[in-house]
Amino acid sequence: MSASQPPSSFFVGLDADGAGAHPAAAAVARLAGADLVSGARLARTVRQAENAGLTFVSFTDALLPAVPGSPASARLESVTRAAFVSRTTTAIGLVPQVPTTYPEPFHVAAQLASLDIAAAGRAGWIPGVTRDAATADAYGRPVVGDVTREARDVVRVVRDLWDSWEDDAVIRDVATGRYVDRDRIHHVDFEGETFSVKGPLITPRPPQGQLVVLAADGDVPPALDGTGAGDRPGGAEPLVDVTLVGGAGVGAARGNAEAAREHSPLVGVDLEVVLDAGGRTGADRLAVLDASTPVGVRSPWDTRALRWAGDAAGLVALLTELATPGPDGRRPVDGVRLLPAVLDVDLPVLARDVLPALRAARLTAVPRPGATLRESLGLPRPANRYDTRVLADAPNA
Amino acid sequence: MTDLPATDLPVTRPDAQVHFGVFFQGVNHTTIWSDPESGSQTDFATFERVIRAAERGLFDAFFLGEGLRLRESRGALHDLDVVGRPDAITQLAALAAITTHIGLVATQNTTYNDPADLARRLQSLDVLSGGRAAWNVVTTDNAWTGANFRRGGYLDHALRYERAQGQLDVARQIWDAFPDTGGNGAVAHVSEHSALFDVELDPTTPRSPQGHPIIFQAGDSPQGRDFAAANADVIFSRHGSVLAEALEFAADIRRRAVAAGRPEDDVKIFPGTGVIVGDTPADAEEKARWVRWNQVTPATALSIVGNIWGEDLSGYDPDGPLPAHDPVVEELGGERGSATTGARTREIAARWRALAQAEHLSIRELVVRNSSERGFQGTPAAVAEDLIRWVRTGAVDGFNISPWIVPSGLDDIVDRVVPELQERGAYPTSYTGTTLREHLGLRAPLTRRASAVGAA
Repeated sequence: MSASQPPSSFFVGLDADGAGAHPAAAAVARLAGADLVSGARLARTVRQAENAGLTFVSFTDALLPAVPGSPASARLESVTRAAFVSRTTTAIGLVPQVPTTYPEPFHVAAQLASLDIAAAGRAGWIPGVTRDAATADAYGRPVVGDVTREARDVVRVVRDLWDSWEDDAVIRDVATGRYVDRDRIHHVDFEGETFSVKGPLITPRPPQGQLVVLAADGDVPPALDGTGAGDRPGGAEPLVDVTLVGGAGVGAARGNAEAAREHSPLVGVDLEVVLDAGGRTGADRLAVLDASTPVGVRSPWDTRALRWAGDAAGLVALLTELATPGPDGRRPVDGVRLLPAVLDVDLPVLARDVLPALRAARLTAVPRPGATLRESLGLPRPANRYDTRVLADAPNA
Repeated sequence: MTDLPATDLPVTRPDAQVHFGVFFQGVNHTTIWSDPESGSQTDFATFERVIRAAERGLFDAFFLGEGLRLRESRGALHDLDVVGRPDAITQLAALAAITTHIGLVATQNTTYNDPADLARRLQSLDVLSGGRAAWNVVTTDNAWTGANFRRGGYLDHALRYERAQGQLDVARQIWDAFPDTGGNGAVAHVSEHSALFDVELDPTTPRSPQGHPIIFQAGDSPQGRDFAAANADVIFSRHGSVLAEALEFAADIRRRAVAAGRPEDDVKIFPGTGVIVGDTPADAEEKARWVRWNQVTPATALSIVGNIWGEDLSGYDPDGPLPAHDPVVEELGGERGSATTGARTREIAARWRALAQAEHLSIRELVVRNSSERGFQGTPAAVAEDLIRWVRTGAVDGFNISPWIVPSGLDDIVDRVVPELQERGAYPTSYTGTTLREHLGLRAPLTRRASAVGAA
């Protein structure tokens, strides 16, 4: 193995939300209501993604619909969706987006830990932020002004709660009648700026110890800073494992990635794709989609991400550029998350013409059945922040 | 109460069928974890084995409990019982994908959930499972549990059912917002403003084949019974051991249902209970005794008595007598997260002491005797006869069984009791519907009742 060999393969994730990432995807695919969100459709889509060799699927989510009143804006809650496909798949990572701004952090921590248990260690989390006032009204609470601070506190306490049970807390000691060792289960006593959480979690530590946290650049402070951060358990650890950056072009995306690398173990690029398909070019398809975008949609297609509209070969070339190590042995980015304009159209092209080419060039690898998402991404399983035995044995750890 | 022997009670529903649910991972010391046959209480494989056995046995429902803070005794985590469980909706969503018919019941708290999130997650489970979800509605008021949540202990005890009613009302608005399956209308906006709720939202979750989740409720107080009679499809009752008590409870619930403007059979009654079978009555008796003594370990016996006495009694001899002195505190408060908090300790202690003296019981014998909810025990045929009698006298509609051991605890019921019931024409031989609403024989959801009556 040469010194320039990258530590692990380039990851390729895919957002598997709804009919696709473009706001007009459901309209163009003629899907609405129960047909759009059925379990059968969800399981089929994720199975196709797993068969295509993708590293993970994400499930974009928001409490409120893109278009109020429209059945084409039907969407089910993301952890529930991810859990549903946890037992219909064996290798692919499952990464729900769950907002941090208004939901209860204690529930979010338990739901995600439970997802990781059901998925045998294949779960991740995209902690989202919610900036619109309408969502505050749905919860009957004042608008949160500083969503980044709120995201920081929620990610901190969720990570604390995942560690609140040590791995070997269940002892089943028949001689003393004790099912758990209470010294290995911890109150977290978290005091944030707007809330506090006592702990411990109701759910034991998830198989990965900590789920993989992926965050859009700027949504979550990647690590705690300021004095005293290193004094609290876990205070010196990053809050974000994988930062997802955008960029108007490849150069901008590479620059954003370079900046994000300083504080994030891994960096990926969010990449919107509209591929040539069905005798139409990606550009033509995009024009039709844009023209079909419903009136009153809350957000147009995200222009923060890098975008590819064109043929599969061009996408392979773009991904090859992003995945090929430079003279310093480092890749420009560690991976991508693909945002397909229309899942039913773009995913088959990805599976047939894009992912096999990347594998043939040995840039990507298919996740191994039974591997955790951390293993697929080359991330270590973290020690427990409350395990005093580790701290005593390895003071520099 | 009736003085008639159980066998002489009138059969009011000669064709009624027995129904089963399974309550996985019972709380407190129900689940024996010390036996070598006891599997992991956390691994998904354990849940999978139990739900597959239940579905093989044509059970209506698989039921998960919930507690939002781990139990503590006098400031220390209670360490003697099974603890640590998955989030119910998440776990049931995973189980939905590997099952095809069985209902999926999630216990969820009305105090420490926002309706926007809770109703959406429940409906998501209902849609993904093809109409098999249910919500077991539970209330909490204590600040001790609230310490895990944004608002802390914000809710006064007296308001807990008002909060529950509001939570359910908003949930129904959210579930009813989409047009019925096949309809093309717009999605309705939800707006609710009251003392306890301010909600303005546009839902995203379509209706399921059964409309929306079934409502379970387990309250036993007069307030809890009224809430159930007005709102619930199924009551998860406590009266699963003494037939006369179950009949009285059923009559009370029917009265309250009619008073709430519903048909008297609109609320199905499923007591929590246990089933122990043996080849002979003596075998079953011996097994039941073994189960009870393994549920109440020496440490558990001392812990239970210690919670009444308000002190650590772990230095006492579990095979010796109760403490000679009275409890040190008037009211239970040291133990958190259990249903008996707030009870009068000296009254309980006096009752226990009288019983122990009359029957010459040690601490452990006393606790075994107190916790020996007998449930149903005997040969498979005898148990089947008992279950049929309970259903056909109108005492219950089904049974929610807590296995004393997992994952194998349902096997005896599925493999030995169910065939006896089927031979007697008192149990289905296949699922006849695909939704939980169909399994339970329920009418249309309460909010769609008028149109359903018109269509019938």
